[in-house]
Amino acid sequence: MRDMTFGQYYPAKSIVHRADPRFKLVILLLYIVMTMFCASFVSFGLLTLFVIITVIISRVPPLKVLKSLRLVLVIVLITTVLMMLFYTEEGEAPLAEWGVFHIYLGGIYASVKLAWRLMLLVTMPTLLTLTSTPTELCDGLESLMSPLKKLRFPVHELALIMSIALRLIPTLVEETDKITSAQKARGAEFESRNPFKKIKAMIPVLIPLFVSSFRRADELADAMDSRCYRGAKGRTRMKSLKFHFGDVIALLLWCAIFVAILFLKYNWFNWAFIAAVGL
Amino acid sequence: MISVQKLSYVYSPKTPFMSQALFNVDLEIEEGDFFGIIGNTGAGKSTLVSHFNALTRVQKKSGTVIVDGIDLSSKRINVKSVRERVGMVFQYPEHQLFDDTVEKDVMFGPKNLGLSVDEQKKRAREAIELVGLNYAEVAERSPFELSGGQKRRVALAGVIAMKPKILVLDEPTAGLDPVGKRAVMDLIVKIKTMCPTVVMISHNMDEVASYCNKIAVMRRGAVVGVYTPRELFGSQEVISSCGVRLPLVTEIASKLTDSGLDIDPSITDEDELVEALLALKEGRRRA
Repeated sequence: MRDMTFGQYYPAKSIVHRADPRFKLVILLLYIVMTMFCASFVSFGLLTLFVIITVIISRVPPLKVLKSLRLVLVIVLITTVLMMLFYTEEGEAPLAEWGVFHIYLGGIYASVKLAWRLMLLVTMPTLLTLTSTPTELCDGLESLMSPLKKLRFPVHELALIMSIALRLIPTLVEETDKITSAQKARGAEFESRNPFKKIKAMIPVLIPLFVSSFRRADELADAMDSRCYRGAKGRTRMKSLKFHFGDVIALLLWCAIFVAILFLKYNWFNWAFIAAVGL
Repeated sequence: MISVQKLSYVYSPKTPFMSQALFNVDLEIEEGDFFGIIGNTGAGKSTLVSHFNALTRVQKKSGTVIVDGIDLSSKRINVKSVRERVGMVFQYPEHQLFDDTVEKDVMFGPKNLGLSVDEQKKRAREAIELVGLNYAEVAERSPFELSGGQKRRVALAGVIAMKPKILVLDEPTAGLDPVGKRAVMDLIVKIKTMCPTVVMISHNMDEVASYCNKIAVMRRGAVVGVYTPRELFGSQEVISSCGVRLPLVTEIASKLTDSGLDIDPSITDEDELVEALLALKEGRRRA
């Protein structure tokens, strides 16, 4: 249980770790949109290059980032193979054909791009969670959503719920660990292969876990009450988010990449060298 | 009974969170011992003790643990038979209660051992009565409606019902008032007649001094030494080198000695102190 990678924060000292979480979130959003606009191998290559640069300056071991790919490997493989086998190009001769399956040159390109896109989509969010603590992300989200307050959307309450939930995940993991050990000591088995038995074996862990969660919720509410917590109004924070010059530069840089990718896709001015890149 | 040799343990090896909890620990616990383990938080007491029933497995090339003839450092062991032999009571054991009646909860352990329903019930009844609860009164009640002290007794019964040969307790009296503490300790003494070897982690020097016959002092993942209560609390050198506080009785005795009374300053038992004081009074009257 201890290896549960929810908060998979990797502590290190780097520009990426220090960056303002709001900027990181915006850049991530921008990046996800960008991957959708990647059309040619050149733009994929460009984006990948910048991902690699970001990983290097973040000082997170590249293996940690690559590990996240393992989770989507199966999906990537299945979609790629299906795409390759069913892709049809009008007016072209297939390279190979077996019954309903056929492989076109265009199909190979398209499926490689699909796989590439999926992998790009996984790596960057992973890097975000590796380089920012859950609390930072939570604060960043609250700050980014603050314009919604005008629409009477309970931004602060939502952020509070989120940060309490995040804060209590390690506690719950620890608690689960303890209760599991206690029940194991009483001879309980959790390693059964039978899924029904497995679910049944969880009951002696889940019930004490619920009981203690309710108890803890009561205690937390009392503690907040006794310290005069009264919601968002007039509340200041201990660690206010501050963005630095570097954050703006990073955002501008990613905007520039976005523009480059858009140009590579649409080639608005019909520049010959972009057309020559092709694919 | 339990023999630990050169045991080391590392948490989260090969990650930035890596931390070594045990360093080359050697320990011998014999049958019939009431073995106390003391030390500050983070000294490795719980990690050490969780090896005894194979909850924590001995890491590769990090020493051996032999419990009742079973070598826990070998790769293939029958975990269940180890857990049957070694009963483990964790801190705040009442947090592990889950079933809808006290009886069913206590039967959980025997059930996992694969005993017949009759045997399960018989053992539950014995265990509930042994911990000083009225079987007829509590058996069909929900463990969640009981008082804190009663819950702890039920949790203890849940472990005893497995009839272990060795009982390991992690701070059994944490969070109880003085009366409750004493009641639990007396209960453990009672249980010890049935389960002869008891290992107890404690922060309470009074308990360790008056109940244990051997005390291991741990500091920063290593065992500093194993002493009898007299050796530990009687010698100023050992006390200061181990960094432990004195039990209340010993503190009173040494204060009395300092103020000129002729009393052994290493007394660790209340009754002994009373005895010594009475003897002193008697001697004075005669003089």
